[in-house]
This record gives sequence, C-alpha cells and structure tokens, in this order.
Amino acid sequence: MIQIDDLALDAPDGRPLLAGLHLSLERGADLLLLGPGGSGKSQFLRVLAGTLPPRAGRVRVGGVDTWPGAGVLALVGHLRLGFVFAQGGLLSNQTLRDNVALPLRFAGVPEAEAAARTSAALARFGLTSVADGRPHAVSAGDRKLANLARVAALEPELILLDDPLEGVESDDRPGVLDLIRGWAEDPARTVVLALEEPGPFAGLPARRLHLSSNHLSPSAEEPR
Amino acid sequence: MGFLARLGAPVRGFLVFLGDQAHLVAQTLRYGLSLRLDQLGVVGGQTRLQVRFTGLDALLLVSGTALLLGAVTLIQAFSQLSGLGAENYLGLLMVLIIIRELGPLLTAVLVIGRSATAIAAELGTMQLNGEVDALAAHGVNPYQYLLLPRWLGVMLSVFALVMFFDAAALAGGFLVAWLKHGVTLGFFMDSVRDALMNRDLVATLLKVVLFSGAITFHACHYGLRIRRSQTEIPQAVTKTVVSALVAVFLLDGLVTAFFYF
Repeated sequence: MIQIDDLALDAPDGRPLLAGLHLSLERGADLLLLGPGGSGKSQFLRVLAGTLPPRAGRVRVGGVDTWPGAGVLALVGHLRLGFVFAQGGLLSNQTLRDNVALPLRFAGVPEAEAAARTSAALARFGLTSVADGRPHAVSAGDRKLANLARVAALEPELILLDDPLEGVESDDRPGVLDLIRGWAEDPARTVVLALEEPGPFAGLPARRLHLSSNHLSPSAEEPR
Repeated sequence: MGFLARLGAPVRGFLVFLGDQAHLVAQTLRYGLSLRLDQLGVVGGQTRLQVRFTGLDALLLVSGTALLLGAVTLIQAFSQLSGLGAENYLGLLMVLIIIRELGPLLTAVLVIGRSATAIAAELGTMQLNGEVDALAAHGVNPYQYLLLPRWLGVMLSVFALVMFFDAAALAGGFLVAWLKHGVTLGFFMDSVRDALMNRDLVATLLKVVLFSGAITFHACHYGLRIRRSQTEIPQAVTKTVVSALVAVFLLDGLVTAFFYF
C-alpha cells in the first residue's frame, strides 16, 4: 500500500525532520507514527496523503507514484483515502452533514445511499442533533468526530489519523477507540496513526516509527 | 551582478505568474473535461451558488450604474453636440460608447470589486484552514469542485450582467433623449439597431470569455498562494484587484484593436 524510498522532510521553518527514510507497508498492515509535538508527524501524514511534497525521496501509495508526481491528484479516482486532521479539515461553509456527504457524492455513490451512509456515520458519533450546523457552530470535539464520521462514511482503503483522540470528550472516546481498532484489524484497510504516545493504542498490532528531533533516520519496528 | 539580478527579478516573477495562470487554466480545463456525469450535480450546485453571488446579487448595482451612465452619456452628448444634430447620432453614440466599450469593461470592474475579491479571500481562508487539502485528500478534486464552478459561474454572470448593463444603459439614454428631445422609442431603437454590427456581438462575447477567465484565475492564483497567516489575505485581495484590473484593461485594448483598428 505504501512504499517510501529515501524520504527527506523539512519543517515549515526549514528545519530538517527526516532524512533517508525507507518504509514499505503492505495492504492491511498498520503503522503507529510516534513522536513529540514538532517532530514531523503531521507533515509525514500530509506527504502520504499527497498534499505536501517532501524535500527528497520517492513515495508510492496504492501503486501510484505520488512524489515525485502529481501528489494527491494522482490518487483521486485510484484510491479511497480518509484523513482525520489534528485540527480543521472541514469545509467551513458547509454543514457537518454536507461535509460528510461530499466525498461520497463526488465518488459517484448514489444519492440515496450517500444520504443513508452519511446519516449512519453521524448517528454513530452522536452528531445527528448538530448535523445541520456548520463547523464553527459546534464544539472542537464535535468537529473531530465529524472528521471521523466523514472517514467512516467513505469506507476508505487507506486511513490517516492525526491525533484522533485530541479534543474528543471522554464519553465519546470508547466509541472512537472501537472504530479505530476495527479499522486496524480489517485486512482490507491500512491505518497510519500519528500520536505523541501510544496510550490506548499500545496493544495495536502495528509497526512503529519513532520520529524525534535528534534522530533523522528512523527505521520502522515490526509489530509487537 | 546584483543590479542585473534585481532588474531581472520582476521579469522572472511575471513569467512565473503567467506560467501559473496557464497551469491553472490548463488543469481546470483538463479536469473539467474529465468530469463524470454523476459529478455534474455537485459541480452544478457550486456553479449555481457562484452565479447567485456574482450575477444575481450584483444585478441591481450593475443595472443602476448602467442606467445612470447611459443617461449621463447622452446628457453630455446633447450638451456638446446639440448644434450638430446629436439626435441623429443617438444610436451610434450608444453603441460606440456603451455596448462596445463601457458595458463589458465596467461590468468587469464591478465583478472584480465584488466577486474576485471574495473568491481570493474565500480560497485563501480555505487554504489556511487546510480545507483545500482536505477536499483533495478525500477524493474531491479542487480543480473540479473549486475552480471550475467559479470560472463557469463568473462567465455566466459576466455575460448576463453585460446584457443587463447594455439594456439598462440604453434605457437611461432613451429616457434622456425622450425627455429632452421627445425622441420616440421606435426611432431610438432603430437608431441603435442601425449602428449595431455582428462583430459587436462577437467582440462582446470574446470579452466576456476573456474577462471572466482573467478575473477568476487571478483571484484563484492569489487566494491559493496563501500558506502561512491571516495577514496574507488582505494582501492577496489587493493584488487580485490590481492585477485583474490591469489584465482586463489590457485584454479590452487587444480585443478592440483586433476588431476595430
């Protein structure tokens, strides 16, 4: 699913974050991306998603060359990708319902099915009552849940999660954990999960990649 | 060497800008042509929103401006040419001044002021909030969802607004001609019809297409370039206005020279 060769990545301020990274992740395998804030986890996920070019290296996702290449546009129509952003990521001029439904409608899912999948995903996270509000009108926790609902409705093959529990209310955490564990155990899905500490995901059968400011060439550890 | 580099920097910047504009147009056309039937509803919905904001919401402003301009044009014409039989040149004056030149040009200026600024600010905000990246990451091609509907919406709106502008300006001109010289509607319209040529319509359509492209892609270029902070948004809006105005006046000059020189 993911093939990375000799990847080098810089922070927005030009500070080198990674150099010479080689990584191969098969379909159905999962990756825990661990490191403190500012170590490049979010940038790494954006490189995988094709929305940020690396300084150097080759990235191949789902059999498609993204870097060097057209980035995310190369993936459109070839691979269903879901991305839960650490912050933002929802269209501010659309309701939560429209935010969840848009990728489905654009993927050509019939209107009735798209509406049903959207409603089910919103209901799963308890967002039905605020579904017709815009992102600025709901709490940060609900925005994070709406991000997750969009991914859940899309049923993607590759799921990128950037600190998915950050901002989520404690009552909602068990549901989110169950969902992510379910994705990770699904052999049809590849999950890349970026966290500062493994925390509740410590037992996940995933490879681990530790990013830190003083270790530019990490190598992925095999699942424990 | 440093002097030469300073001299060349604006030229290089302009060439990079032209290259980026060409890239935006080519990509929007490319992905626009590859739209699937089942995506037309989403893109059509976005286009309708753009037409409502750029066209419908501006209709009163454009019509009012045109009505006054048409009236003022004929008041000035009568005041200067009353001894030369100005009423015989009513149609020619209206066609030369309003339909050929000021209609498309002033409509474009109003659309730049209202819509190009809004597009640049909206796309800039979306870029800062990571919304453009989020769209693309979830399979929604930004060229198809953001750029194409704005281009189509602005084009349809500019076309409709130019038609309303011309009609309102002619109405304003007729009111003055009727009140001051008792010119009848039939005489006025015959005079305009006699002065109109097919190439006026072709030139106007070409201006609509070129102006709407310049307005949309200048706004998209400056809006999507925003990367770091909110303070870039007003700068992008200002650059959009200045740059789009220059482009529109330049294109107007080229089209006029091509058709009438």
